[in-house]
Amino acid sequence: MIYDIRHVTTYAYESAVSFARCTLRLEPLSGHGQRLMSHHVEIRPRPIERTMRRDFFGTLTESVVIEAPHRHLRIDSRSRVEVARKAPGRAVESPAWERIRDIAFGANSLGPASPIGYVFASPLVPVLTPITAYAAASFPPGGGILLGAVDFMHRIRTQFRYDAKATAISTPLKEVFENRHGVCQDFAHVMIAGLRGLGLPAAYVSGYLRTIPPPGQPRLEGADATHAWVSLWCGEALGWIGLDPTNDLLVENDHIMIAIGRDFSDVSPVDGIIVGSPKQKLNVAVDVLLVE
Amino acid sequence: MAATSDEAGQGAGQAAAGQAQAAGRPRPSQRRVAQWMRDYARLPGIPDEYIGSEGPRAVWTRFFDAFAALSPAEIERRFGAADRHLREAGVTYHAPGEAAERLWPLSHLPLLIDEADWLQLSAGIVQRAELLELVLRDLYGEGRLIADGAIPAAAIAGSAEYLRPVCGVKPPGGRYLSLYAADVGRGPDGRWWVLSDRTQAPSGAGYALENRLVLSRAFASLYKSMNVERLAPFFEAFRDSLRASADRDEPRIGVLTPGSFSETYFEHATLARYLGFLLVEGDDLAVSGDRVHIRTVAGLKRLDVLLRRVDSNSLDPLELDASSHLGVPGLIDVLRKSGVVVANMPGSGVLEARALLGFLPSLCRRLLGEDLKMPHIATWWCGQKAAREEVLSRLDDFAIEGAYGRTVPGFASHGPVLASELSPSEREQLKAAIRDRGIDYAGQELVRLSTMPVWDHGRLAPRPFVLRVFAAATPDGWIMMPGGFCRIAEQLDARAVSMGDGARAADVWVVSDKEVSTRTLLPASDTVRIRRIAGVLPSRAADNLFWLGRYLERAEATLRLVRALGTHQRDAGEGAPGALQVAERIQRLLVAWGAASQNARMQPAKVAAEALQAEERFGSGLNLVRAAQRTATSLRERLSPDAWQVITEMAERLANEIEDDDGVISAAELTLQELASFAGLAQENMNRAAGWRFLEMGRRAERAINTTRFARQFAYDEASDEDLDTLLTLVDCQITYRSRYLLAPVLAPVRDLAVLDPYNPRSVAFQVQALNEHIASLPALKETGLIERPQRLAVALQSTLTTAEAASLDTKTLFGLEQDLLSLADAIGSHYFPHGPNASRPEKLTGLA
Repeated sequence: MIYDIRHVTTYAYESAVSFARCTLRLEPLSGHGQRLMSHHVEIRPRPIERTMRRDFFGTLTESVVIEAPHRHLRIDSRSRVEVARKAPGRAVESPAWERIRDIAFGANSLGPASPIGYVFASPLVPVLTPITAYAAASFPPGGGILLGAVDFMHRIRTQFRYDAKATAISTPLKEVFENRHGVCQDFAHVMIAGLRGLGLPAAYVSGYLRTIPPPGQPRLEGADATHAWVSLWCGEALGWIGLDPTNDLLVENDHIMIAIGRDFSDVSPVDGIIVGSPKQKLNVAVDVLLVE
Repeated sequence: MAATSDEAGQGAGQAAAGQAQAAGRPRPSQRRVAQWMRDYARLPGIPDEYIGSEGPRAVWTRFFDAFAALSPAEIERRFGAADRHLREAGVTYHAPGEAAERLWPLSHLPLLIDEADWLQLSAGIVQRAELLELVLRDLYGEGRLIADGAIPAAAIAGSAEYLRPVCGVKPPGGRYLSLYAADVGRGPDGRWWVLSDRTQAPSGAGYALENRLVLSRAFASLYKSMNVERLAPFFEAFRDSLRASADRDEPRIGVLTPGSFSETYFEHATLARYLGFLLVEGDDLAVSGDRVHIRTVAGLKRLDVLLRRVDSNSLDPLELDASSHLGVPGLIDVLRKSGVVVANMPGSGVLEARALLGFLPSLCRRLLGEDLKMPHIATWWCGQKAAREEVLSRLDDFAIEGAYGRTVPGFASHGPVLASELSPSEREQLKAAIRDRGIDYAGQELVRLSTMPVWDHGRLAPRPFVLRVFAAATPDGWIMMPGGFCRIAEQLDARAVSMGDGARAADVWVVSDKEVSTRTLLPASDTVRIRRIAGVLPSRAADNLFWLGRYLERAEATLRLVRALGTHQRDAGEGAPGALQVAERIQRLLVAWGAASQNARMQPAKVAAEALQAEERFGSGLNLVRAAQRTATSLRERLSPDAWQVITEMAERLANEIEDDDGVISAAELTLQELASFAGLAQENMNRAAGWRFLEMGRRAERAINTTRFARQFAYDEASDEDLDTLLTLVDCQITYRSRYLLAPVLAPVRDLAVLDPYNPRSVAFQVQALNEHIASLPALKETGLIERPQRLAVALQSTLTTAEAASLDTKTLFGLEQDLLSLADAIGSHYFPHGPNASRPEKLTGLA
């Protein structure tokens, strides 16, 4: 499947901003069952400096400096991506989770694909005993890792309430867990925390989800959103498998990956600092169009 | 001397000093040493620094023999002098979670280490520093140690100090570690052991310096006679090495501090002052182009090297901890472009993880081709099966630590967990956690450390201690600071593991048999370019100096009012209506300035007392002096110890309880004298660079404003003789007026003297003229050629004052003048300190959900 994706981020400031330094992670990755065909980012006002590099996780990271005074910042990202991946069945046989844990602990690489990078607490995902205990219910001794993970994902989907207003980036994970509500990012973080508590290598994925309008209704422009889910290492044979706790889905061709990291802080699509305006309004519009 | 020490030594060695067979009667000093030794109750089974298995060690005997030559009274006097010096110099630290600064507690006896012992310790530390540098280079570079299994990936990946953004970044300046410290203690076998490594941003070197200063002054001749190795050469070499790491000659170097709330802020200021570096906070720095710059009163200036005292993760909100306000956005990117040297390199703290300790012996053989010279505390990282089972099988024999940080996962307390002190359920929880996620835990052997003597009410008592030693990288290899920072535990049974927060500090003397070199390592004169202006003035420091000047001047004006009110009340017997009015007007001013409360009005004595020292009145003399003190705290590295001492004394005096009205007057008077002595110190001792100008501008601006207010209050259009007389007192012009006019105060001449007379150093015109001179000599920031706002306002004010006539200077004109002066003070603030406390700070962009 080939998608055209438009992702427009706008900031409106209360007073003029004299300086901005931003980090953009907007280019969808190539690999993991998808291929980037084209990508272009337009920024207004025009930056005085744009430099690109690949970060530790392999994500294309653009550093941008804007020195022109402005009250609006608009970052317009367009990508074309081909996706062709096959999810394993929900009940497919997989190694015992304890075995995966032991293999991960014994890894001999610190590289971005090594499972050892994803079994410890990370900036936004602490390892908390109650969440570990919650996750453990899905992982009986000797149980298959994928079976456990699918069950865990299902429990989050059914026991947590989706509420766009309940949480912000700064909401601590402990609170999200205790209140059992949040958005995709929170669900992904909770699931990651539970898996890591058991010693299982879980990564955070940012990306897009193709939404299919209800039958008979037109697709609304800009109605899509950026999305987040979990990638779990299931051993050499199965590799990294995508699990979407918000939708209780194994990731297949409706998901387009932008970046992988330990948690949101590693992959945040637009990040930065500004000087001049304490008040800001953020708007994000995403369109995911199926080309063929 | 040898004979003396032998006698005394054997006496104590046998713990039966009475049988000392002295030929003739021992002198008092010999008796004292003998008595100290008798009382010195070593702990069974614990090695001691002073008394070894073969009796007292020579170096300590030498010390105590000389020490005992001082009479008990003299010893107490010297200790008192040391404490006073610490207090007056303001040697303090913040205890975590406390707002107030605490005095740094110093044990008065140094830890003595003889040269041979020290050489052995040094060899071990230098080897370790070399090894750790190589390990860091590999971890953040090629990664062969991990790939070959010499270090398990998990031992690194679990550390929050393993910074992925700096992977593959070559450290500008060529090295990861510039300053390395290790906590060491003497183990039961008599050898020095490493307890932990400090590779992030080691603290304590500045305190060591301060402790040395205090002790070497209090015991000057004893210090000289002991041949103690000097610390100065180490710091000189460290400074030169940082200088050499920059990519230009005469680089600008800053000590990056989290700010004055940091528990070790005093030390940051000490180091900056001693090494001649700028003390900077993250807000003072800005990334521009490929470089880091410091904001100064003359615009952005390139900064070449940062000696950081901010933890790695807080250094850059864009690539590391996004919530940090202590760092510099974009700093890591500048490192990538090799635009700044940061010492130590961000990420070097990864080596502090306990998980790594067990691998160092084999790493040393692999990387240096030799065995580790110095042992470290035995550590079993539970990430490996054999070690895990060992720990689980003998749980009570270990202190359980976090493998990567100070906390033990699953347990709330900081520091180690002792299984023997846990409840049965907690114990099971710990065992399960180690079985499930062993990578997070390490078991450390319980070691009891050696003890050293402390002075306990005229006796010697043994206490356990931990010694922190420092090594600096130089182009010619690592060098040790001959000495260190010693922390002494109050508890007798302290185990090595629970020594994190020592209760007292001690100086450390490395004692040589020969006379030590006292050369200062000053550079040869032909290599130094002569300069007369000292470096750049950071905007924040300028801001603080400006406000220091303003607070002190405002305190002076307030205290003058207090004194005037007090003496007025004391001398008021006549009950003239004019006198009543004067008292009323002084009180009105004090209330308007926030120095006294509205409901104290009509009780002049109460108003005066409140204005002097009321805690709850923001404008009271006490609070103004405290505000000055707080401001001065952020300027530690720029103020002389004398100036700091004057401020401290004022704050202490005003905080003391005062009994009667006369006490109020005399406290105001004494404080006014101290304010004058501070002004004198600034006038006579401060270099006439930009810093002095800002202190002066603050003082001048504030004085101009206050004098205008005085004039408006006491030289109004219908002012009485008493009013005018009061004004002359407040602006200190009684004598001038009388010598000039020989008659009772008359409105126009008084106004002229207080406001317009450019020859009177207390007149408004004089202040404005001084402000003009200062502004004119400061660098212009913009290059448009247009006159800048502070100057425009100041020039306009000066011409108004120059051309005005006393006769036309009515109340309304005075009010206008006051407003203009306030605008001028604000204009100076927003022009030179655009990044001051009121300026806009960088904000984080909102993230998306």
